[in-house]
Amino acid sequence: MNLTIAIPKGRLGSQAIEMFKAVGIGEVIDENSRKLIFNDENLNISFLLLKNSDVITYVESGIADIGISGKDMVMEEDADIYELYKMNIGKCKMAIAGIKDSDIFKDDSIIKVTTKFPRLAKKYFKSKGQIIKLNGSIELAPILGLSDVILDIVETGNTLKENGLEVFEDMYQISAVVISNKVSYKFKRKEIKEIIDLLRWEDNNGKNN
Amino acid sequence: MDFLNITDEINYYKGMYTLRNEVADYLFNQGYSIIEPSIFENYDEFTNINTRIDKKKTVKLLDNNSGILILTPDITTGIVNKFLPRWEEGQKLKIFYYGKTYKHDRNGIGENREMGVEIIGEKNANTDNYILNTAKEIISRYSQNYLLEVGNSKFLKGIMEACSFKKADHENILDILFTKNKQELEEYIFGFPTTDAMITLSKILDLEGSFGEIKKQLEGLYLNDLMRQGVEELVKVDNYMSTITDNMIYDLSMVSELGYYDGIILRGYIEGSNKEIIKGGRYDSFTRQFGYDIPAIGFTLELDELLKTLHKEGRR
Repeated sequence: MNLTIAIPKGRLGSQAIEMFKAVGIGEVIDENSRKLIFNDENLNISFLLLKNSDVITYVESGIADIGISGKDMVMEEDADIYELYKMNIGKCKMAIAGIKDSDIFKDDSIIKVTTKFPRLAKKYFKSKGQIIKLNGSIELAPILGLSDVILDIVETGNTLKENGLEVFEDMYQISAVVISNKVSYKFKRKEIKEIIDLLRWEDNNGKNN
Repeated sequence: MDFLNITDEINYYKGMYTLRNEVADYLFNQGYSIIEPSIFENYDEFTNINTRIDKKKTVKLLDNNSGILILTPDITTGIVNKFLPRWEEGQKLKIFYYGKTYKHDRNGIGENREMGVEIIGEKNANTDNYILNTAKEIISRYSQNYLLEVGNSKFLKGIMEACSFKKADHENILDILFTKNKQELEEYIFGFPTTDAMITLSKILDLEGSFGEIKKQLEGLYLNDLMRQGVEELVKVDNYMSTITDNMIYDLSMVSELGYYDGIILRGYIEGSNKEIIKGGRYDSFTRQFGYDIPAIGFTLELDELLKTLHKEGRR
């Protein structure tokens, strides 16, 4: 096939690898090893294990032909790539949350927003928001007074609840997407579609269904 | 391009000189005349015509009356603005040019060298084929593993007219097509009362690949006159191109950030490059703003990207 597939490390990646293995590709990937590249020589597919936020960069630059990334990252990066298939894994939502029962979100003043997604936040709040970028533990910011609200992905809502926060507004549904380099797609359309068909089959018939 | 040492930079210019002259000589011998394009455009005029262009990425400057100009992001627009106001009936132009385009990118102001080809004022059965053949001759000279991809803006225009979406929905759908996100497209479309045209639109992303594959997919789908016209033009293209190359693909959902295409749209890729090497198409309706109806078609060759790819492969 001569295809290079970028997979994020972490929980989403593990689920994706499981799906690949279930449909008979990706047997070579050993998540317990420290290796970051795995070559399946029979199928002629290489897998790159990358940091979540770097998958898009590798795909956009053409080093990887396709990759698996969260839709949240895809929206934030606004990269020049194709989004070929929305998977059944990595499901959560993007939402705005703040301290329970506070009314700051409803009044007209400029609100301070902490987030890992500054570009998305800017687009969403326009001139009404003052955006502060953080890299983790976003939930702390309103509690410690760094911001009025947070814009973040919410899965179960447990972290929010435990920190005394609640969702004010749901923004988008998020899931994992198969992304593709635009030029790779022209040259390798058949191969890429074959991989997607396998993943779709697994989504519909496998254990994620 | 930035270079660490002077020798590399000098070598790059040498490679660019050779490449530029090779292509220019070929075009000159084919009977194309050379012109020199302007690098300035009026911001408002440009963005009104090219509505899908990212305004933030244009490089602005002020003239002495505080009017906003931009450094050209697209030379064809400038050529039309330059020649059309003085157009004489029956005139034909078969021209080429070398020029630079400018856009803000991640590293500051990006400069891009390109060679362009235009045929303005002539349209017969052979003009499309003639220009496609010129593109094929140039790209195949630099790579055997090339692809020429052809779409037709009439198809998408026809179907969008039949669906009569509001402007905002229209733009959102084009954005979705731009990323080939089929599921999002279906979700978006089926939020409206369903018509035959919308069902076809929901399948438009399948209309890609070889022309044979597309023909099969088209069976049973809604077509109006404009869409049919688009398909028929592609049939003619395929009849001709299949006699001279096997490296053709087609895409009926092709969306261009330049809004003026009106008929076939052309792109060229070579293996080893991550960008389009050739970009172009027919833009007859573009001339209408000057009160004329003049057929026009052309393409540009991305010289920097081509040279980079050849260099990477040790061929330059």
